[in-house]
Amino acid sequence: MSNSILSLKKLNLAYNKTVVVPDLDLDVREGELIALLGPSGCGKTTTMRAIAGLMAPHSGTIHIDGKDVTRMPANKRGIGLVFQSYALFPHLNAFENVAFGLRLKKLAETEIKSKVEHGLQTVGLAHLATRKPAEMSGGQQQRLSLARSLVMEPKILLLDEPLSNLDARLRLDMRTELQRVQRETGVTMVFVTHDQSEALALADRIVLMKDGLIEQIGTPSELYNRPRTKFAADFFGFENIFKISGNALVGDAGSLQVSYQVDAEYLAWRPSAVTVGNGSYNGKIVGVAFAGEHIEYVLETLLGQITASSPAAERKFKVGETIKFDLPLASGFALYP
Amino acid sequence: MFQNNREGLFLALPAAVFTGLLFLLPVGFLLAEAFKVEGSWSLQGYIDFALKPLNQTVFLRTLKLGFFVALLSAIIGYLCAFCIINLNDKSRGRVFGLVILPLMISPVARTYAWIVILGRTGIVNDALIGMGLLDTPIRILFTETAVFIGLLQLFLPLMIISLVSAMENLPKDVIAAARVLGANWFQVFTKVILPLTKDGLVMGGTLVFTGCLTAYITPAILGGSKVLMLETLLYQRVNVANDFISAGIIATILIVMSFSANQLLKRIASARQ
Amino acid sequence: MNSKLASRSIIVITLLFLIGPFGIIILAGLSAGDFMTFPPDGISLKWYAKVFEVKSFRASFALSMFLAIGGTIAALLLGIPAAYAISRYKIPFAETIKTIVAAPIIVPGIIVGLALLRYLVVPLNFTVTIALFLAHTALVLPYAVRVVSSSLNNLRSDMEEAAVLLGCSRVGAFIRVVLPNIRSGVLAAFILGFVTSFNQVPVSLFLSGPGVRTLPIDMLSYMEMTYDPSVAALSALLAFLSVAIVFIAEKFLGFSRYV
Ligand SMILES: Nc1ncnc2c1ncn2[C@@H]1O[C@H](COP(=O)(O)OP(=O)(O)OP(=O)(O)O)[C@@H](O)[C@H]1O
Ligand SMILES: [Mg+2]
Repeated sequence: MSNSILSLKKLNLAYNKTVVVPDLDLDVREGELIALLGPSGCGKTTTMRAIAGLMAPHSGTIHIDGKDVTRMPANKRGIGLVFQSYALFPHLNAFENVAFGLRLKKLAETEIKSKVEHGLQTVGLAHLATRKPAEMSGGQQQRLSLARSLVMEPKILLLDEPLSNLDARLRLDMRTELQRVQRETGVTMVFVTHDQSEALALADRIVLMKDGLIEQIGTPSELYNRPRTKFAADFFGFENIFKISGNALVGDAGSLQVSYQVDAEYLAWRPSAVTVGNGSYNGKIVGVAFAGEHIEYVLETLLGQITASSPAAERKFKVGETIKFDLPLASGFALYP
Repeated sequence: MFQNNREGLFLALPAAVFTGLLFLLPVGFLLAEAFKVEGSWSLQGYIDFALKPLNQTVFLRTLKLGFFVALLSAIIGYLCAFCIINLNDKSRGRVFGLVILPLMISPVARTYAWIVILGRTGIVNDALIGMGLLDTPIRILFTETAVFIGLLQLFLPLMIISLVSAMENLPKDVIAAARVLGANWFQVFTKVILPLTKDGLVMGGTLVFTGCLTAYITPAILGGSKVLMLETLLYQRVNVANDFISAGIIATILIVMSFSANQLLKRIASARQ
Repeated sequence: MNSKLASRSIIVITLLFLIGPFGIIILAGLSAGDFMTFPPDGISLKWYAKVFEVKSFRASFALSMFLAIGGTIAALLLGIPAAYAISRYKIPFAETIKTIVAAPIIVPGIIVGLALLRYLVVPLNFTVTIALFLAHTALVLPYAVRVVSSSLNNLRSDMEEAAVLLGCSRVGAFIRVVLPNIRSGVLAAFILGFVTSFNQVPVSLFLSGPGVRTLPIDMLSYMEMTYDPSVAALSALLAFLSVAIVFIAEKFLGFSRYV
């Protein structure tokens, strides 16, 4: 814990009397890129605001660099925050938006100029320096907001859904960009997202949140390959999750007798883990979708709908066909409550 | 957003203390004074006031003028608002500007014009005589009619503004939809426009009615001492007779009436739903 | 189209009723004769010129200007922080504070003037000018709070947070980020306050002393004594002044949405 740059202990966050985050513990190491992942409304933004000092925790402490900053005002914490809503200054042009914090630091004009220009360049907005935020697209505004925080060289940079408004290509570019900036500057980043693939692609560690509580923390591969709970599995692409009851799997529509017995609450299969074309059970194909290298099938079964996928090169089935399928124990994944 | 509420209080208090101490407190004293007759608390002042025929006349006249001015401005207001929202954006802005304009001009100037128009040798009399409809000029100035006209001109813009903004907020195409569904214009008005714009009507009605109650210049210039309204009566009582009890009573009446008018209109509006 | 014509006529007739009278006083003020008549007896500018020669008009114009500008500035100094607090903080007694600050709109002006005369000027030895100043400030305050509040509510509060995170103090964030973005609201509040105060009559009725009279009161008493066209000329000039202010304000601020 000595090398953790940000440490939240027993953090309790509430709006008036509504507790949003009941009890949060989190340690972030210096230079780490952390993804806060979770469904809408689970308290991600709230947590960010508390770290930044924009809301006081009900109880618990926040340490930065080992120092207790729980009561420190926001403008003294040296934390950058890229707002979900950008929060750009509408009366200032792009250059002045980025220069805002530098001017407050009373840097020399030449230094400000070079930093701002470099910042704008980093996010690819150098050509729009004199535009006002209102004259920029959503994605440009988001990048401007990022540049404004970056030039301050904060110890910790918080990003609230920094890529949500970008188109797919730009989003990939910006992912790379964020990683590059992070490598170059070594800044510790905590970014919020509810896109699991973004979290997987970018983060050193992922913090999965649910209703203000941490469901699981781990590296992307840990969360992807070894989700502990149904919620985590659901989030990371296990589309077929069934409860276990003795010798049977229980789904939405009914149950299915299986040959194995396991000591777990749930069994889960990714679409690719479902065997199609042979096996002991029957399912009717109600949907076929071509997804590049894979074909995805939706099967109507005794359990309800099952999503399966098989390589596009293999034999194809048509909607309406009844086929054999299997949910092998070996490729299933056991989950605990 | 910010949770430091003491800081917020610190920012808001100067305004509240200023108005409270230097404005409401003296007014409160004045109102309280009416309950004191020769040093002891009593309602005698109110009883004496209510029994004077002149006071009764003035009170009823003020109510009457306020009511009818509000009513007529609502009628004209709806007509105008309906015409205005059907204009294109550019002319709508222009007309709206022209409607607001009189509000920015000194009421003294606004009322003074009516002397020239309604006076014994004013435009109206000249015109009527010129057309052979009259032999000798009639008196319009210093009648209730003159005060009525003056008040209507003074306060009509407030009603129009309220109704136009209410109508602008009507969901798009509801009127057309109602027409297509077979409603005639009267039904469109009573079943669609009125229920959907009632907040604007309440707002405009309150503004016009209370405006009329508390108008001073119009009754003073166009009504004189012949057509007293509550405000001019108050001025007269204080100036002529140093009668602060009546002043306090009239003040209370004005405040209570303004307040109840607003409440009443709100009540009526919500009952219609 | 027939309905179009009808709708045009309704608008024109209404506007004529609302604005026409000003045309008449402008012309009446141009009279060459010594009495108010319409149409005027010949055309001259002598009454317009006379307005500037009447000493009391000059003094009362100056007083009214002072009250309108000074009172409105004072009201903004009190009102902007209050509006900010109301829109950005969860202050205790917020409703009470709002009601108190809005009260001057409801209380008839004539009562205010009388109350201040009886309880500030007479017992506490306030001068009439100070009482007028206080009254006009309180009167403009509700407008200032209302207009500034609505600008603030249209401004996202996360900008201030962003400014604070970039190193601003709370006050700094207000000055650097909030003020520039509510500038037109503040200007509109100023103009609305100015016009309200300048045209205000009832409050000043009882608050006049030797040589201390606001312009509208002065006009009223002048009218009672003489029936020459100079009041018409003055009214026309004031109307022009207001029209010019409002026209400019509309052009640059879109003033009408703040009224
Ligand atoms: N100002 C507020 N007052 C009261 N409740 C709030 C406030 N802001 C957020 N909440 C509530 O707190 C909970 C967490 O909100 P938060 O904004 O932290 O969610 P989030 O995880 O960022 O969601 P999203 O992904 O949609 O941005 C939500 O249930 C929300 O309704
Ligand atoms: Mg959020």
